[in-house]
Amino acid sequence: MHKARPGVTLANGDANRPVLGQRSTPLTYRRRIHTALLLPALAVAALAVAACGVTPQTTLEPTTEAARTARDLLMFVFWAMVVTFVLVEGALLYCLIRFRRRSGDGIPPQTHGNTPLEIGWTIAPAILVVVIVVLTVPAIFSNARAASPDALRVRAIGHQWWFEFQYPDIGVVTANELHLPVGRDVEIQLESNDVLHSFWVPSLRGKLDMVPGRDNKFTIKPEVTGTFPGQCAEFCGTAHALMKFYVVVETQAEFTAWAETQRAERVPPASDLARQGEETLTLGGCVACHTIRGTDSAGILGPDLTHMGSRQYIAAGILENTPENMRAWLSDPQGVKPGNTMVIPELTTEQLDALVAYMQGLK
Amino acid sequence: MATVTATAPDTRTFAGTAWSWITTVDHKRIAVLYLVTSLAFFMLGGLEALLMRLQLATPEADVVSAERFTELFTMHGTTMVFLALMPLSAAFFNLLVPLMIGARDVAFPRLNALSYWIYLFGGIFMNISFVAGGAPNAGWFGYAPLTDTAFEATHAIDFWAFGLQILGVSSILASINFIVTIINMRAPGMTLNRMPMFVWMSMITAFLIIFAFPAITIGLVLLIFDRYIETSFFIPEGGGDPVLWQHLFWVFGHPEVYILILPAMGIVSEILPTYSRKPLFGYAVVAYSGAAIALVGFGVWTHHMFTVGLGPIADTAFAISTMAIAVPTGVKIFNWIATLYGGSISFKSPMLFAVGMVSMFIIGGLSGVMLGSPPIDAQVQDTYFVVAHLHYVLFGGTVFGLFGGIYHWFPKFTGRFMHDGWGKVHWLLMLIGFNLTFLPQHMLGIDGMPRRVHTYAADMGFDLWNMMSTVGSLMIGFSFLIFIINALRSIRHGEPSGSDPWDGGTLEWTIPSPPPVYNFAEIPVVDGRYPAWDIKRGGGHTGAVATAPEADAEADEPDIHMPNPSYWPIVMAAGMVLAACGLIFHQAFILLGAVLFAISLIGWIEEPAA
Repeated sequence: MHKARPGVTLANGDANRPVLGQRSTPLTYRRRIHTALLLPALAVAALAVAACGVTPQTTLEPTTEAARTARDLLMFVFWAMVVTFVLVEGALLYCLIRFRRRSGDGIPPQTHGNTPLEIGWTIAPAILVVVIVVLTVPAIFSNARAASPDALRVRAIGHQWWFEFQYPDIGVVTANELHLPVGRDVEIQLESNDVLHSFWVPSLRGKLDMVPGRDNKFTIKPEVTGTFPGQCAEFCGTAHALMKFYVVVETQAEFTAWAETQRAERVPPASDLARQGEETLTLGGCVACHTIRGTDSAGILGPDLTHMGSRQYIAAGILENTPENMRAWLSDPQGVKPGNTMVIPELTTEQLDALVAYMQGLK
Repeated sequence: MATVTATAPDTRTFAGTAWSWITTVDHKRIAVLYLVTSLAFFMLGGLEALLMRLQLATPEADVVSAERFTELFTMHGTTMVFLALMPLSAAFFNLLVPLMIGARDVAFPRLNALSYWIYLFGGIFMNISFVAGGAPNAGWFGYAPLTDTAFEATHAIDFWAFGLQILGVSSILASINFIVTIINMRAPGMTLNRMPMFVWMSMITAFLIIFAFPAITIGLVLLIFDRYIETSFFIPEGGGDPVLWQHLFWVFGHPEVYILILPAMGIVSEILPTYSRKPLFGYAVVAYSGAAIALVGFGVWTHHMFTVGLGPIADTAFAISTMAIAVPTGVKIFNWIATLYGGSISFKSPMLFAVGMVSMFIIGGLSGVMLGSPPIDAQVQDTYFVVAHLHYVLFGGTVFGLFGGIYHWFPKFTGRFMHDGWGKVHWLLMLIGFNLTFLPQHMLGIDGMPRRVHTYAADMGFDLWNMMSTVGSLMIGFSFLIFIINALRSIRHGEPSGSDPWDGGTLEWTIPSPPPVYNFAEIPVVDGRYPAWDIKRGGGHTGAVATAPEADAEADEPDIHMPNPSYWPIVMAAGMVLAACGLIFHQAFILLGAVLFAISLIGWIEEPAA
């Protein structure tokens, strides 16, 4: 290793330059510092104003142990990095301002290195990352904890471009809206039916990929009731941006009631229009891909529609479940979600009315 | 053997000029070809980025379709990595390595030309896809099984896979060439420990390329098998594993990040001392930390895969190795700052870009430490936070560094300055635009915006950040236009710079600008790290560095034997790329390509040795 040589001053190397330059007064460069700080200060102010907006999918409002661990770690490392940033950029700015060339500068002292100093600033970042590692490793293992034996088991299956949710122990199958009871361990097993997807509900936990042929699982314990948005976070093709879902965390009683409804066969059509809708649906080929339990249907390629009307959103979390949106979705699936594989023949207005009425009734 | 005078092409006619460029084996002219081509691709990749930013400026916009958007981000990434930044670094390797080590050319001049032509044709080949049935659309990382024929039946992925294979050949050939050049052709007295830092970083980069590219080459071969002969290396239905692709890709992909950043670090390590008039602080540590980064860089790849579900043990191991790499990176930054300390700093535009590189790269490094912690990564992986992080490293780091290099060595390429005032305008606009583009993206990621989405809903709270980001990206685009106009104008009308405009310390500043075809009339003898400073300052060194007086260079051509021009490299490159076309368009091209390749091979061997 190269040994630091003592500094050699070559101030007289150029005959045209005086030996020593005049340093300007501290006042002069303090003014420059102010100018240099103005821009970042403005930027920070702008960010603070903007940060007041509502961001339902933020990672900063955790509602579970796992998400809280991640948030706390994020904030700790963030502030550690902010301090590092200020120190290092401060040193850089100081050098740039303090040692700017002035008229009359000669060749500065030719320092080549300083071994103790270099050892010092090798050790300093090493200590910092050791601290981060020490905090990180327990979090990794706690995030990977196994579920308690009485955990609710859920299979989450990724499809291009929607989520299927199966509850093998209680016989419920649904799509794009995951209901979970509060205060109980849930073990979610992630699978994929086609390409890679990722299961991500920022307020519940960091993401975990859905990999075909590989069963990932994780455990969470929801602590707060409410509806939390989630989204596929691994690029999965054209409509990747439109593959969303919601997690509804509810009380055990609400959850039991919900599961009861979901297990039942479909609500029979209540009006003539709805009956017509069911006919259109079963005869029109929809049942090749969709299942509506209680009718003559067994399709498995698309979401189970038995209780379609009970969901808050349609088309994988991208449209609120209103009659208007349902009509828009059925009349132009490619426009709503480019690339999706739903094949719908040209529908007359009457057929659309009937289908929408029927689907809305599938509570 | 031929002399300079005997082989000088007739550049009075357009055809003569064109032919001289097509057949050139001169490393300096190949550098110019690399520079111009890579900047053209940089502009193309930039336009792709701007289209994406326009689409994302407002929620639920309809500027481009969802399908087109997938092509745009795939080709933006692929273009910037393989067609813009790597070749832009190669332009600097070509121009500078022989000049800095006191050599007359690279070790294998025709191989050098071959590397360039393969790169050019490979780049064109990949971009033909836009008008030939659809561009690659599975991301620059091409995760299986989305790349399988079951999900992408057109040739989009084939263009990408063959294109990357072609470009890989170019990179590996160039790397072999530069390693041999650096190891064998240094001027007398230039020990490894006296090499300019840029040469060190070039050599490390070349080794990285040679060791990293085989992984993706294998991955791509398996992918092509999966697509063409229905194997199932990555297809779970046939017993394959899509995660295998991710391992192969990132074993290449992470070192690739260092392939992109180390040359810029080398450039900055030359610029900072020059404009501070001080030698690089802690030379040996800077060199070794570069090597350490490269070495450890091969052991961190699964930090790109923390959300794949490899388990807590693997995540812990790779979190530790990832954190470890922060140490040599930090050391480099501290040594750069210490180089400035006590200096006499002149703020010409190259220096501004170098300082911009250091300060922006710091931010990328710090957000990298955040990402290195798996629980944090699980939240922000595949979000705009990662987009912000990688652009602080590859734009804030690499692009700023490379632009600094262009301003710094433009006088060496052309004999003229780029306009310094406009250079500063370029710098300031790019710095502000860059931060306006990418700083808000950190917040977008933390607020839950995934990347690679062609749109987002109005009620997600992403609007303002995205609008800021788009405005910033337009500023970057505008600053690049200023750069291009400045560069084009300066080629002919720039202020003449003389041979040593910046008081440089390395050997290239001891010879005329632009350098004569033979570089050094007499091979210099080196006995220090900054031989040019030693001569100018008479600082106790006695190196007999030969300088060819500028005025005499034209009049009194010394009789130095240089390699002959050759058209075989371009023919061979054409043969290779035609063969790849054959696998997409019509099999006849394979035959044609093979024949061309064979002929060029024989021609190459039979060509009289220079």
